[in-house]
Amino acid sequence: MTTYRPIHGLMAEFDDPDALLAAARAARDAGYRRMEAYTPQPVHGLTEALGRRPTRLPWIVLGGGLAGAVAGFGLQYWINVVAYPLNIGGRPLNSWPAFIPPTFETTVLFSAGTAVVAMLALNKLPMPYHPVFNVKEFERASTDRFFLCIEAGDPLFHHKHTRTFLLGLEPLRVQEVKS
Amino acid sequence: MTETREAAPVVAPGHDYASATAAISDVVLRRKPPRAWFVTFGLGFLGVLVLFYTMGVLVLKGVGIWGVNIPVGWGFDIINFVWWIGIGHAGTLISAILLLLRQEWRTSINRFAEAMTLFAVACAAMFPIFHLGRPWVFYWMLPYPSSTGMWPQFRSPLIWDVFAVSTYFTVSLLFWYVGLVPDLATMRDRVKNKLAKVLYGIGALGWRGAASHWERYETAYLLLAGLSTPLVVSVHSVVSLDFAVAQLPGWHSTMFPPYFVAGAIYSGFAMVLTLLIPLRKLYGMGDFITMRHMDNMAKVMLATGLIVAYGYGLEAFTAWYSPSDFEQTLQRTRMHGPYAPFYWSLILCNVLVPQLLWFRRFRSRLAVLWVISLVVNVGMWLERFVIVVTSLHRDFLPSSWGMYTPTIFDISFLLGTIGLFLACLFLFIRVLPMISIFEVRTLVSPNKERGKGT
Amino acid sequence: MPGDPIRRELARLRRPALAAAVIGLAACAAGFFLDRQLLLRSYLLAFLFWTGLSLGSLGLLMVQHLSGGRWGFAIQRPLEAAAKVLPLCALLFLPILLGQAEIYEWAHEDVVAGDPVLELRVGRYLNTPFFVARAVLYFLVWCGLALLLAGKSRARDEGAASAVKWLKGVSGPGLVLLGLSITFASIDWSMSTEPHWFSTMYGLHYMAGYGLSALLLMVLVMARLRHWEPASRVAQPPLFHDLGTLSFALTMVWAYFSFSQYLIVWSGNLPEETPWYARRAQGGWEALAAALLLLHFVVPFFLLLSRRLKRSAVVLARVALCLLALRVLDLYWVLAPAFHPAGPSPHWLDLATLLGLGGLWLLVFYRNLGAAPLLAREDPRAAQLESQAHPA
Repeated sequence: MTTYRPIHGLMAEFDDPDALLAAARAARDAGYRRMEAYTPQPVHGLTEALGRRPTRLPWIVLGGGLAGAVAGFGLQYWINVVAYPLNIGGRPLNSWPAFIPPTFETTVLFSAGTAVVAMLALNKLPMPYHPVFNVKEFERASTDRFFLCIEAGDPLFHHKHTRTFLLGLEPLRVQEVKS
Repeated sequence: MTETREAAPVVAPGHDYASATAAISDVVLRRKPPRAWFVTFGLGFLGVLVLFYTMGVLVLKGVGIWGVNIPVGWGFDIINFVWWIGIGHAGTLISAILLLLRQEWRTSINRFAEAMTLFAVACAAMFPIFHLGRPWVFYWMLPYPSSTGMWPQFRSPLIWDVFAVSTYFTVSLLFWYVGLVPDLATMRDRVKNKLAKVLYGIGALGWRGAASHWERYETAYLLLAGLSTPLVVSVHSVVSLDFAVAQLPGWHSTMFPPYFVAGAIYSGFAMVLTLLIPLRKLYGMGDFITMRHMDNMAKVMLATGLIVAYGYGLEAFTAWYSPSDFEQTLQRTRMHGPYAPFYWSLILCNVLVPQLLWFRRFRSRLAVLWVISLVVNVGMWLERFVIVVTSLHRDFLPSSWGMYTPTIFDISFLLGTIGLFLACLFLFIRVLPMISIFEVRTLVSPNKERGKGT
Repeated sequence: MPGDPIRRELARLRRPALAAAVIGLAACAAGFFLDRQLLLRSYLLAFLFWTGLSLGSLGLLMVQHLSGGRWGFAIQRPLEAAAKVLPLCALLFLPILLGQAEIYEWAHEDVVAGDPVLELRVGRYLNTPFFVARAVLYFLVWCGLALLLAGKSRARDEGAASAVKWLKGVSGPGLVLLGLSITFASIDWSMSTEPHWFSTMYGLHYMAGYGLSALLLMVLVMARLRHWEPASRVAQPPLFHDLGTLSFALTMVWAYFSFSQYLIVWSGNLPEETPWYARRAQGGWEALAAALLLLHFVVPFFLLLSRRLKRSAVVLARVALCLLALRVLDLYWVLAPAFHPAGPSPHWLDLATLLGLGGLWLLVFYRNLGAAPLLAREDPRAAQLESQAHPA
């Protein structure tokens, strides 16, 4: 077996989301696991085709929202009842009806913040450098090209066999991704 | 200017991924801005200068340069604040609610409408902050442990406003930016200029369109839409509570929250139409912003306008049905008092003229639609004027009645924010794609002609 | 014969409805001799609830004609059937018309005399002739709209091309009329039980409640009929998902209206407004308020967030049934404290009137439902459905 200089993987290029979808399914059926598809817009069914579990983002956001609600109401309760009690127009110190609007706002603020931060963190973004950018044609991944990259870390990866396999999927071209 | 509608498509036929991407991004990257861009941006910039001048005078001399007085302590500032916030609401509505309702037609206008939201909210925030008199200590309103040992008073709707507006601005910004990330990647990959490439690249955060990223991205985007929908309702409800929790006739009305929300959407859609009708022509975006969009927006305007009219009617009925002299007097003052011309103009602008929108004949004529949208913008401004000034200038004690006249600085502040709004909006059009490219791509077919490579 | 199993199912459903009607109305007859006032006050609640199902359906019917969407296409016929019960509701209004004095204090001259608020309101608005004239007008509008819309929809089935345009054209103005008439009807029939009080939110609150009730009924109907042709073609998880989401939205709108009204009255703290809430915050009424907050807002909020729950017809129908019961409780909390300020005093007549009117209402509803094909033909959305059923 010949040794190759380390590469990130092999990347096949398609011009149609359905072709990519079929390629992803075929690659998974062939036993590949460490791979990623790159598309200019969301392609439905692609994560299932790649065999990924649905994201747990909604649960994280629910947690963020509940934290925001508790923090918002707790802050107001603490300020108006404990730290700085004031009699305003004879209203009770714990004026819960008046505390609802700010509580709602903090709930939304925390949920939205959690959604964005958690989405970026789970995606490991921002990430200025990534090997796939080394492929020149990849700049069309944000316009009209669809890519499937089988990574060199996959146990089944073999420079020649994987290339043959990818070529069998009838892509526009197959290229090496330098790492 | 009549074009056919009804079955008008969301995107004109004949586009594929590449051509749609090019058509939208070329506005920023390739084409020279049209002359109208320079003219409008120039006017807007002039407005910004006027705004800075007014702010300078205000900080030097105090809020006395405005026409506010006792009893009318809230004049143009609160009118303009509510007006601008309301305009912002259409953006959130288009991007969030229509996304949840799976209305595909939103795709071509949501980016622009969201940008409009951001700038409108920024303009709105100027007014309460400068109305404070000492705008540089605005942060005293926030709950933080300060050396004075004091804390905010959470029974006041003005503090709720601080929370509502700042949350609204933050979440709108997040929503807008998250929507932009994939398009910034597109711009990064298409732009030739080195510096621009770096700047777009920083904004794109290294986005590479990985499938797992898209999944989380779409989930986050939907969640943001779901959160923005009640948020937008809450923001204008809180604004309405600034009035409604008081006991003043004309302000203390339980239906104020939904009535204000409807009014906000009404004026917001009017502003979207006011801006999009000329822009669409100017940039030849008729393929993406079709007659279908115009027709739908006109219908939303009609529906919200009717809710607003319901509010006016119910207010009149309440006064008539009320045993309170004050309520009855207020309604009489509105209709026959010194500011009666404002009330009747408001009825003309907000209730009578928009009834034309029932007819497809008028909805499909862009010139007519544009004029109606302008009329509604004016009408919604008048509505806030009537609510604020007529209620305040004659309250319970006749001895403390007074009149309110805006000064030149009131007017220059309003014109200045309009300038700021236009300047920001036109800068946005110049540097960022005004239509969400990746979402439009989901509406067109992949490739017209297959150019197979090696 | 398509539709036959549906007819059989409707016939099966008719039996318990008939039993409820007979038992309930017999109990009402007994109540008539026992305590006429108590009977009429319970009757008002039952009347407002069941009429509300028809009015909410009429509203949703027009909304879906305007907005389109597959959910509207699927429940169009059940909505029409529910709206067409309105003539029966008009008939059922007669006892309230005849028994005004037993229900409304403004109908008593001796109560009104010397009370400046009531003198003004009775002089201008709350007097028997005007009350009757308004009620006649409301029912004319409602029955007219319901019969016209249902009739034109049948005409469209027969291929009348103009009907499609007509349905859209009438729904816009129809919604305006419906909104106005529900507002004033809620003032006349419900708010005037406490004639000193006034709130501009009241009509909107009723509209949201009625819309929600009608939607929940539609969930139940579609879940019940989902196994049989042609309902099975539309009663699929996506439909229940849509209906569940709409129920979620309307539940939130109801909560928003309720809380906004409360917050404004609480903050204003005016003597002419607070008694309404004060009465509902004592003697056990506050427990009902807490139950509503928890079960009509908090619990459905979390339940209806779940996509899995919304897509399951069985579970969603169970939630809808509970929420429908809470709709009755909400009406009870709004209405009954006017009559029982000391605290909730449930009576078997409350149940009897609900059963009796409900039985009658359902009998007519089932009959209407069986009288027309369950899915509208010639609807532009019908073709769309066909193409979705056989994906390429």
